[in-house]
Amino acid sequence: MLEVSNLTKVLPNGRKVLDGISFKVKKGEFVGILGPSGAGKSLTMRCLNGLLKPDSGSVVLTDDQGFSSDICQIKKRELRKVRQKIGVIFQGYHLVKRASVLENVMIGRLGQISTFRSLFYGFTDKEAEEAVKALEQVKMDHLSGTTTSGLSGGEMQRVAIARAIFQSPALLLADEPISNLDPSNAKVIMKLIRPLSENIPVVGVFHQPEMTAKYCTRVIAIKDGKIIYDGDPKLTNDQLVEIYGEELHQLEQHEQPVLAIQ
Amino acid sequence: MTINDFSPKRYYKLVLPTVGLLALIKLTAWVCGAGFDKLGKGLLQGISFVKIMFPPDWSAFPEMLEPALQSIAIAFIATVLGTLLAVVFAIAAASNLTNPIIRNITRFLIGLERSLPEIIILLILIAGYGLGVFSGIVALSLGCVGMLGKLLGDIIEEIDHTMIESLEAVGANKLQVIWFGVIPQIVPNLVSLALFRFEINIRLSIILGAVGAGGIGYELDTSFGLLQFHRGLTAVLVILVMVVGAEQLSHFIRNKIKLKGALK
Amino acid sequence: MNEQLILPSAKYKHKVGYLGISLFVVVAVCIYLKYNPFLIFADFTPIQRLLGEMLPPNFSVLWQPTIGKAIAQTGSAAFLATFYGCLIAFVLAFLTAANTMPLRFIRLLVGGFLSLLRIVPPLVCILIFIIAVGLGAFSGMLALIVITVGMFGRLFTDIIENTEHSAADAIYSVGASRLQVIRYAILPQIIPSFIANCLYAFDVNIRVAISLGIFGGGGIGYALYMAMQVLHYQDAFALICLIIIMILLIEKTSDYFRTMILGKEKLR
Ligand SMILES: Nc1ncnc2c1ncn2[C@@H]1O[C@H](COP(=O)(O)OP(=O)(O)OP(=O)(O)O)[C@@H](O)[C@H]1O
Ligand SMILES: [Mg+2]
Repeated sequence: MLEVSNLTKVLPNGRKVLDGISFKVKKGEFVGILGPSGAGKSLTMRCLNGLLKPDSGSVVLTDDQGFSSDICQIKKRELRKVRQKIGVIFQGYHLVKRASVLENVMIGRLGQISTFRSLFYGFTDKEAEEAVKALEQVKMDHLSGTTTSGLSGGEMQRVAIARAIFQSPALLLADEPISNLDPSNAKVIMKLIRPLSENIPVVGVFHQPEMTAKYCTRVIAIKDGKIIYDGDPKLTNDQLVEIYGEELHQLEQHEQPVLAIQ
Repeated sequence: MTINDFSPKRYYKLVLPTVGLLALIKLTAWVCGAGFDKLGKGLLQGISFVKIMFPPDWSAFPEMLEPALQSIAIAFIATVLGTLLAVVFAIAAASNLTNPIIRNITRFLIGLERSLPEIIILLILIAGYGLGVFSGIVALSLGCVGMLGKLLGDIIEEIDHTMIESLEAVGANKLQVIWFGVIPQIVPNLVSLALFRFEINIRLSIILGAVGAGGIGYELDTSFGLLQFHRGLTAVLVILVMVVGAEQLSHFIRNKIKLKGALK
Repeated sequence: MNEQLILPSAKYKHKVGYLGISLFVVVAVCIYLKYNPFLIFADFTPIQRLLGEMLPPNFSVLWQPTIGKAIAQTGSAAFLATFYGCLIAFVLAFLTAANTMPLRFIRLLVGGFLSLLRIVPPLVCILIFIIAVGLGAFSGMLALIVITVGMFGRLFTDIIENTEHSAADAIYSVGASRLQVIRYAILPQIIPSFIANCLYAFDVNIRVAISLGIFGGGGIGYALYMAMQVLHYQDAFALICLIIIMILLIEKTSDYFRTMILGKEKLR
């Protein structure tokens, strides 16, 4: 279970980019975070795995054994241990250039194997096979031997997703995992993430309300560093306008609804 | 631009620098004891001297092979060990991998090394460890650390920070981040710089040899010192072959790696 | 599974194989040279002893007139060599560049000459010039000129050949002669990088001037060598400090002016 309470972050220039963010995510929940650009979604996600230290607030992760730790407080060593179990898909995929796709996936387990083995022997054949399976799930196994430098944006994104899956995480954080994918691949990914949420909490940032409506169990909307909505994934048009602003509405007067809920 | 800009007046502002430059040249020439008359006489003498050097003494050729091999071995081992050490220094000098204190200390040490020509480092080492191969290799390795440490450090600093972050996000420790995230990305630069440095080390090993680090440079220096100029010319020819050979080898390896697609 | 995929175990065997061979070669060469790379970490006594003898540095030696003269000589040799060397390299570069020299024969001849200068070891140069003009800063300077021309001739040629052709074509098209094209289309393009490289050449030459001094080229390098030879380590240490400061100062100034001329990103 993930318990986030009262995250605040003030930038050096005095701007409050996170302002009292609190929410709870239980096992079986797939939470979609919506919000306009610059709302603080990525910053929240970075706080969730300790890449960013908030000025105040806590992020408590409780595992199945009932052991809980506050990511904002623990020491670096323990933080590494916790991070092994957090799968992260970054907004900019962040793959290692010049390493093969397969290696990039296997890197997901780095924290779980001993330093000695990772430096001298590297990964085992069994792990490689598992990594290929993870790549199969995102339909990338045909490219597993190539280097990542030549991949397209969507392909890189799917590699990043395979890495997170391969990590067999206890918490999955995904920052815009489908933003660079074509509609059918986006569906493949969402269908992949959805069942994962039955065993672990999943938090994802999306810019597609129709997708969150279909696949998420809950939606949180963030605007100007504050949570302005938390609840049912099916949003009404008025709620969408509240999140994304008047422009959304104006657009709809000229065109057919772009963000209609199926 | 006005018409005036094309009048001869636009050259007026060049008068002062030109006069200054000429004065500086006169002054420095006086300090050096340089002069064209001296050069003319010297050149004639030099050309007649080069004539005296011919033909090379081929009987000395077999004696040259061993020192030549030694010079190549010195350059090789200094490049290998120096490059390895340089990687360590480069990592310690990269702001995205180490804390500012270690980084600044490392950068200071690298800068200190770079401000001393290898031959002076050799002189210091000779004072400590005596004449011989050991001092030569250490001096060349240190030169390697100074040059590659700085260049590689800068290259590492240009690595995308987010990529290092993504490795930290899966719980990797510093060593793992370096081994899986940093090393693969600097290997092409590393190889190409090491080859370049090998060429430099071959040249330097000759100079250092003359001061007493062993190898073919020593043969050359003693041949000249003992006025055995035919023998000296043999050494010169062997050195030329070595230098060109090292250059060609480095080109060859570089092209080969490029074909494999490793250098991009 | 596809055939592109190399299993980690196979990769590991590969790695171990390469590593083993490289390690074997390195160890073999070390044994051949009787070189123990760990000696420098294991045995600090020589360094300790040396430091003991070097400290404290005897800075009073720096006020001797001979040292002042030595610095002036090193600086002068580097300056003159940079001036004449770059000038000669500049002229020769126009004779080797394909877009300024139409005669293939001359291009090959001068190009070959530049290559020859480039591979002649500095040591050979200085030894020959010492015999030609005698010991002293003058021979050091001449050797430096040869080195500078060898090093920068090729570079200047590349710079000239990499200039924009469109500008030259535009001037040819109004009926200009080859010399006019060089003056109005090529020179303006290359002057900044030429000046920047001259500054860089000075930076390099000051180091080489110090090194060559040891072989009889005079100057501060020779002074240091002498101090070391007669075991005046405290004097030597003071001279080393002086050399470090001198080189750092020149490097920083040269860097500063080069950034000013070229802009930050082009600085090598
Ligand atoms: N390192 C930083 N330094 C300064 N400002 C930052 C930094 N990181 C984020 N910000 C600011 O914080 C705000 C929130 O950023 P965040 O990345 O969380 O946006 P987001 O909601 O993820 O937007 P998007 O949908 O475009 O990804 C933005 O206005 C951004 O400019
Ligand atoms: Mg974002």
